[in-house]
Formats: sequence, C-alpha cells, structure tokens
Amino acid sequence: MVSKRFVVKRLLLLVPVLFGVASLVFAILHLAPGDPAKVIVGQRASTAQVQQVRTELGLNDPIWIQYVRFLGDAVVFDFGNSYQIARGTPVREVLVERLPVTIELALYGQVLGILFGIPLGILSAVKQDSITDHLTRVGALAGISVPIFWSGPLLILLFATSLGWLPTSGRIGTAFFLPDTWTLLGTELPLTGMVTVDTLLLGNWEAFVSAVQHLFLPAVVIGIYSMALLSRMMRSSMLEVVRQDYMRTARAKGQGAKITVLKHGLRNALIPVITVIGIQFGTLLGGAVLTETIFGIGGIGTMLVAAIGATDYPLVQGTVLTFALLFTLVNLGVDITYSYLDPRIQQ
Amino acid sequence: MAADTRTRTAASSRGLFDRLRASPFLSNLLSNRLAVAGLGIIFAMVVVALYARLFVAGPFGAPLSDLTSSQLGNAQNKAPPGWLAGQGLLTDIFGTDAQARDIYERTLYGAWLALKWGTVTVGLSTVLGVGLGTLAAYYGDVTDNVIMRTMDVLLAFPSLLLALALVAIFGASLGNAVIALVLVYTPRFARVVRGAALKVLEDEYVDATVALGASDPRVLVKHVLPNSLAPITVQSTLNFGLAIIDLAALSFLGFGAAPGTPSWGIMLSEGVNNGLLTGQWWLSFFPGLFLAVTVLGFNLLGDGMRDALDPRMRETVD
Amino acid sequence: MSDPLGSTAALRRYLRDGLGLLARSALVGAALGAVLLLGLLATGESERAASTTAFALGALVFGFGTLSWSGSVLLGGSVESAQRFLDTNTDWTEADSRRAMARVAGAGLGAMLAVAVLGSVVAGL
Repeated sequence: MVSKRFVVKRLLLLVPVLFGVASLVFAILHLAPGDPAKVIVGQRASTAQVQQVRTELGLNDPIWIQYVRFLGDAVVFDFGNSYQIARGTPVREVLVERLPVTIELALYGQVLGILFGIPLGILSAVKQDSITDHLTRVGALAGISVPIFWSGPLLILLFATSLGWLPTSGRIGTAFFLPDTWTLLGTELPLTGMVTVDTLLLGNWEAFVSAVQHLFLPAVVIGIYSMALLSRMMRSSMLEVVRQDYMRTARAKGQGAKITVLKHGLRNALIPVITVIGIQFGTLLGGAVLTETIFGIGGIGTMLVAAIGATDYPLVQGTVLTFALLFTLVNLGVDITYSYLDPRIQQ
Repeated sequence: MAADTRTRTAASSRGLFDRLRASPFLSNLLSNRLAVAGLGIIFAMVVVALYARLFVAGPFGAPLSDLTSSQLGNAQNKAPPGWLAGQGLLTDIFGTDAQARDIYERTLYGAWLALKWGTVTVGLSTVLGVGLGTLAAYYGDVTDNVIMRTMDVLLAFPSLLLALALVAIFGASLGNAVIALVLVYTPRFARVVRGAALKVLEDEYVDATVALGASDPRVLVKHVLPNSLAPITVQSTLNFGLAIIDLAALSFLGFGAAPGTPSWGIMLSEGVNNGLLTGQWWLSFFPGLFLAVTVLGFNLLGDGMRDALDPRMRETVD
Repeated sequence: MSDPLGSTAALRRYLRDGLGLLARSALVGAALGAVLLLGLLATGESERAASTTAFALGALVFGFGTLSWSGSVLLGGSVESAQRFLDTNTDWTEADSRRAMARVAGAGLGAMLAVAVLGSVVAGL
C-alpha cells in the first residue's frame, strides 16, 4: 500500500519546484534584453506611451517589489493578459482552454508507446540475438532516428491526402459543434476539453468517431518515438535482471528459462523503466510541440511556438510554469506506481 | 599491482594508433555489422556533403543563390520527379519545390549544412565538457559539486524544450539555436570526462607527474584525453545524431536557420506548408529521408560503440 | 537518513541543520550580491538598472538552486536509474545533489536580500 504520508511528502515538493521555476522565469525575463512595454505598444510608439504602459504593468517599481508581486500572482496562476497571441485575454484562460488538448495528445501517444514498447522490449530480451531481437533493435533505433516532423507529414500524405482514410488536421470534424457543458442526472457539469472524452460524455457517437480519426495519426507519431525508447530501455533492463544471481538459481532449479524470465524478472525489470517514463514525459511534451504544429492542433505546444515568435512574455511564463507543474505531477504519479511495484522504496 | 602499473606505463608509452588497434573496443566494434553499416552511412553522407559543397554550390558549382532564392521564371514549380512524369530518370530526380528550386541539389547541400552545424555543436559541447569535467575532477570538493550538480540539472531538462526556452529569451537565429544545444549537450560530456579523469587521478603516474611540478589541469587533460577517448567518441557519435535532429526541429519550428536556407529542417517546414494538403509528397520526402538516414547512421554507430565499450551487454540469456 | 516527517524531534533536527546550511551560504551570497551591486554602480549603471541586474542574477541562482533541490528529492531515484541505462557510468547521488543545491539556493537568496536592502536603504529606491 502507498502510505498517505508518502503522497503528501511528494505533493509538498510541488511548492519548491514551482517557486524555483517562477524565480527562474522572473530572473531570465528581467535579464533578457528588450522592453515588454514596447512589445505591447509596438516599436514605433512614443516614449510617453511606453512609459505609461510601464507604469501600468508596474515595471517602474523596484525589482524586489516586482518579484514579490510576481510570486503572489504566480501562486494563483495569474500571469496577467496575453500581449499578442490572444490579445487581452488572461493567460490563465488561454491555458485552461489549451492544456487539455495537449494532455489528451500526450496521453494517447504515451499509452500507445507503453502498450507496444514494453512487450517488444521483453520479447527482444527473451530472444536475445535472434532475428526478432535484431529486428526489434534496428526498428527501435530507426524509431528514434526518424524525426516526428518527417514521419508526421508522410503519414498525412499517405493516409489523409492520398488515400483519404483519415483527416489531415484539426481535432474533430468541422460539422460537429460541442457545447460547453454536459448533463448528468439533471446537473450541468463542465466538459473536460478532451474531445474523445467529451464526445462520449455527450453521447455523440459520430463526433467521437471523428475525434478518434483526427487523433489517430498524431498519437501514432508520438507513440512510435515513445515505443522505440521504451523498448530499448525494457530490453537492457530485462537483460540486467536476468543476469543477476537469483535468476541463475531459479533456472538451475530446472524451470524453463523463458517462464522464469517472465515470472521473476518482469517485475524487477519494470521498475527502472517506469521511472524513465516519468522523466521521458518532458521529451514527450517537446514531441507534442512538433506534432501539434504539423497536425494543426491548437494545444499548448502550438501556442508556445507562437508566443515565443511574438515575444508574448506572459503567455511564455504561463506555459513554462504549466509544463513544470505537469512534469512534476506526472513524476508524482510515476513515483506512486513505482512504490506499488517496489515496496522497499517507501522506506 | 606492480605488474598492473608496468602494463599501464607500457601502454601509455605506445602510440595512440597501436593502442587503438590492440583494444578490444575496435575489434568488438568492427564485428558488429550494424555499427559498420552506420559507419558506412556516415561516410557516404560526408562524401555527399563534400560533393554538394564543392560541385553543387560553391567554388566549382553553381552559386549558392541558385539554391536559396526563388527560381520561378526559369522552371516549373512543384514539378514531380522526372522519372514519375516519364521524362527520364535524371531530369529533376527529386522534383522541384514551390519556388521551382531543384530539391535534389538543395537536399544534397542540406547534408553539408547538417554535418557542418552538427560538427560545430558537438565540437563545442565536447570542448566545454572536457574542460568542465576535468576541472571538476581536478579540484574536487566545492568546485566539483557546483559544476557537476549544475550539469545534472541541465541534463534533466528535455533538450528541445530547453533549447526553445533559450531561443525565446535570446531571439531566434541559427547561432542562438547552436548555443542553446551546446548548453544542452555539454553536461553529457562533462560527466563522462569527469569519470575518466577521476580514474586517471587515482593512477600513480599522474601523482608522479604532479610531484615533478607539473601541477595544473593541463597535465590532466594530457592524460585524461587518451584515456577517455572511447567514451567521448561514443557520446559525440550519439549526440551528433541528436544535434542534427534538434537543429532541424528548431529550424522546422522557425527558430533556427533562416527561411529559404537549403537546410533539411527548413525544407521540411516548406514541404508541410506547400505540399501537404495538395499531395506534393516529394517536397517533404527527400530532405526527410536524408535526415532520417543520417541520424540513423550516427545512432547505429553510437549504439555499436556503446556495446563494444560495455561487453556485459553482449552476454546471452542461455 | 531518518525521515524528517517521522517525529517532531527529527523534523526539528532536520530544520536546524538545513537552516544552518542555508544561513551560512546566504551570508556568502549576500556578500557577493552586495559586491556585484556596488560594482555595477561603480561602472556607471543607473541605480535602477544595477539593482535590476544584481537582483535578477540573485533570483536566477536562487531559482536554479530551489528547482534543483526539489528536483533532486523528487527525481533522485529516477535519475539514478535513467542514467544507469541510458548514459554511461555515473556516480550521481541524491544526497550530494540536495546539499549542494541547498547551498546554491541559499546563496541566491542572500544575494537577493542584500540587493533589496542595499537598494532601498542606500539608493533610496
């Protein structure tokens, strides 16, 4: 069992993580050249206009006061309004709207990667140096080598443009319009923002099919990369476990080698692989940025790219902190899974 | 112990080449068919890159502007490869892009750019990593802690996201993209070099040199470099593939090479913008194929090198 | 290491050790921050620009240290195993990293405080 204290301890760590990221973001934005006020009013604005915006934003206060104010706002995830990309809209609203999109994409990609990567890695280890092993290893290497921004376009060209089996971009067919809320037993509840979940909640089967069709290729593109990485990890982790003494003893007792491997080795071999899934989540987010760009999905990744391009600082700040929060939460989840598999870790 | 020291001294007095030939590393590596295939791919790409630099654009070929600026007016845009249109194998073998530029020439020149910027990125990371790793090992204690812990943190960031953040701060340009990636890759080298340097420091012959008065990190670099050559090479090879992919990704997103540059990342982004919905697959296919094959070459070789360094991995289950 | 959340005594000991470590590095940081601020002022920077740069650098160090400290605690196990499989041999340990990063964060905090105090008292910002 996972103790409550273990979870509380991990959750408490969120505070310094976000505190640290917020301080870093603050410091970097104040060290970077350029005046945010100029971004808002434009390069050709008069000095008076720039000064006015600076006063409005509090940029003329001493920096330590700005820092304390920034931290106070960051606690409630208030980064002010977007300068350019979603002009005038509070960053928090933009994030709430975009975040589920990216989470949905990353989640399906990761699930595909785990479903295929781990069995392939086990297979490769069990049949070490066989044809299967060689094919899996080369396949995994190829999966890591093929960039998302090549496999993505090629899959679109093949399955969407040429064959017409799947849509080219977006999240759901244009004919579908999803309301903001759904009703359960007479109460109105907000939707999640993830189309595959929302369409099911609304009971709109056709819209669900459309959402799945839209999500399929992007999830596969992310999944291939994740699968390649996980199968490599799983293989080497499995081989390492198999070499340990108790495995030799178990084999010497006369059980079939393959059954022994699966029975005793799997649980131990999974432990390091699961921890890597957490760390690898960051790479997955990077992949999501590219995938969203290719498939025209309006998630947090495309928004980050646009915000960087337009030096929309509040939006960049909000996104960076959101990524940090996500990363920490995912690793918290991984930690809990980990302690299920390896009860020693709690002490 | 005494015998051990003698062998080591003998080994260090022999030439680098002899030692390489005698090492199990190289024979392990050469018996790995995949690694040899990777080596072949890299060699082929180097040839392509040099050919492109010399004969496609450059001193003996057309001026670079033929590859970068629009060729509309001279030729048809988005023309499919000649062998598809029944015009013979060698006319427009990869087709032309939205500005009627020859994709074959641009893709070939892309190999030169990828290898050039990959070399700069990996080279700078190696130099910085060797320096920092050696300093950390040599001074130990606080210096070691500060350097290596900083490296650890940098290592924990996902490379593309960290590079994006840096580019967000310092502005989008190829130079900044390279600097960002150097920052991202340096820790891997520092780590490897520090490990090797610590091993060398434990050896007596460095103690002896230091006792003779040569007490600065230069001595260490002189002894560390030969001893950490193999792990550094493995890291360089693996990171070379990564550097090429990450640089292309940054260019693809618009934060690297300038628009119009015949680099694979830019060509892929132009392919997505101009050919994705209308079905001109050759705009994306050929530059991406070269990119993927090159990266695969580095990954195959790097992977084989790692196995050759760590023979444990070759042990079989049964 | 005993669990700091295990008992009141353990928590008190943990905090005392931690605060001592922080205070010592904060002193070093404060000195560095003050020197940096005065140095920037001496090069002819305006009071605002000098305090902004010095404070932001302190915040940079502080943020880096805090993030890495919590990162070490959170990801300690994961990083150790990830490096065992994906990287070459390492000797990364969570405990080392935590102590080193607590020092870094303390120094950054000291620098920020020193700049804020010096800036508001001396320069009257």
